[in-house]
Amino acid sequence: MLFSLHFSPPPVIAPLPFKPLSHVPHHHHHTLNMLPSTHVLKPPLCSTMEHFTLNHHGKGGEEEEEEVDQTLPLGLRREAMPRHVAVIMDGNRRWARSRDLPVRSGYEAGARSLRTIVELCCKWGIKVLSVFAFSSDNWFRPKVEVELLMSLFERGMQEDTGIFLRENIRVSVIGDLAKLPEALQELILNLEETTKNNTHFQLIVAVSYSGQYDVVQACQRLALKAKHGLVEPGDIDASLIEQELETYCSEFPHPDLLIRTSGEFRISNFMLWQLAYTELFFAQSLWPDFGEAEFLKALLAFQQRRRRYGG
Amino acid sequence: MDFSRQKRMLQYFWIDKIGNVLFRLSWHLVHAIIYFCYFMMAMVHGLESHLISRGLLRKYKYLHISKINYLAIVIESEEACRTSNVIQLLQWVAALGINHICLYDNEGLLKKSKDVILDKFDGAILFQDTHENNMLLDQPCMTLEFVSFSDGKEAVARAANVLLMKYIKSGAAASNLGEQIFSESEMSEALKTVGSGGPEPDLLLIYGPARCHLGFPAWRIRYTEIQHMGPLKSMKYGSLIKALYRYTTVRQNYGK
Repeated sequence: MLFSLHFSPPPVIAPLPFKPLSHVPHHHHHTLNMLPSTHVLKPPLCSTMEHFTLNHHGKGGEEEEEEVDQTLPLGLRREAMPRHVAVIMDGNRRWARSRDLPVRSGYEAGARSLRTIVELCCKWGIKVLSVFAFSSDNWFRPKVEVELLMSLFERGMQEDTGIFLRENIRVSVIGDLAKLPEALQELILNLEETTKNNTHFQLIVAVSYSGQYDVVQACQRLALKAKHGLVEPGDIDASLIEQELETYCSEFPHPDLLIRTSGEFRISNFMLWQLAYTELFFAQSLWPDFGEAEFLKALLAFQQRRRRYGG
Repeated sequence: MDFSRQKRMLQYFWIDKIGNVLFRLSWHLVHAIIYFCYFMMAMVHGLESHLISRGLLRKYKYLHISKINYLAIVIESEEACRTSNVIQLLQWVAALGINHICLYDNEGLLKKSKDVILDKFDGAILFQDTHENNMLLDQPCMTLEFVSFSDGKEAVARAANVLLMKYIKSGAAASNLGEQIFSESEMSEALKTVGSGGPEPDLLLIYGPARCHLGFPAWRIRYTEIQHMGPLKSMKYGSLIKALYRYTTVRQNYGK
């Protein structure tokens, strides 16, 4: 880790705009380029810095105008951004307890965090974000808490529909939706239908979901297809199962990066099949505290680690 | 006027030059500070590992190893041929009292070396030789399981075929997507039938450059703690102890 550090070449500052003096040699025009070289520094502890460019449009000499990506923070390379990021949003209740707040406040703060990350994904060119909102195991939580979560999902979907439409965001909800309240099921169906043609970004929300459930329902779909003669018994392979998983609603069904917050080092039955070659990043902060700086750290770590796929 | 303008321009020119030099110096200084910080972190990490190995850090002296019933070790295939390293790692683990271990590499190279590895451990038996997972954990001797990619997604596909044949033979009438035909426990049984029904590891250690489990049988790692250990060739006893210790302090809610 230590000796993989490489110093980027220092940037060159553009000269201030002025006419060259007759007796002073003419200088080439440069732009201040904060984009990193191929060797990227280890992530600093601070948050983002914007790129900026000074262009000199003076007379004489050549004019160089480099296109600088002004939406990416320092150190991130657009060509190396993950296409699909998955997040296990853990730590809402602990966040609330640590502040002597009710559990509701923790979930509301978590929802705000989610909005921030969605916005950043849209800005930074990530195409798909999957979030583990409610697992099959969460049904065993106190009834009051489960009802609170269902009402928060309902409210969030209603309030943010306008944003999804305006920002061209497609919303997909995966999981055993039959267990959800009927009103919420209807809302989900409407939202999916309304946003199905949006192409800029996809938000996949896993509700009442488990990785094992996903595999089993994929096998069930194949069994029904076999019963109707669409698939030959004995022909089921990994590829066919893959096509029946709930994440097949996405152009990029396999996450490139999984982030789990709150310092826990496990995937808790989330997208078991899909995470085979996914880079795992376990963040210490609780989900409501996971903001731009932390997300940047995760993305920088993703871009720097040597990624190898099996086989 | 022209002279004062030229004077101003000359001033700008020198300000620009000096600014450029100062900026470059600052840039190098920032790089040097960050490099130094990472150097210090690596030194501290190395020292901590050494102290743990020597048993000098009290916190790590007494591990509640009984919490770890089943340990899985994932090794990147490029390093899986380092049999001596693998054996050394297993010796460390066995010395700490962990007797039931699953070894995984994507390409199955460890499977090819299993005889060489088993020879190094007196009385060690292959996992397949035991019948049930609960019997496995009762075995007093060391058990080693060797798995590869074919025991992961491909095994699930084989298990799905088993379930499908059963379903067709049963003549069941379910015709819509909403009805449950199979359950998760039935899938688990089907995986045992096809020979890929090992227990769920408590802890999974990944040795390799990438922080991913490289296709380890996904069905078995729902609640498994995952720790990335770095490349196998750089493995340290102290890091192993630290990973095991960390696991013993974890408390899981299992979603509740």
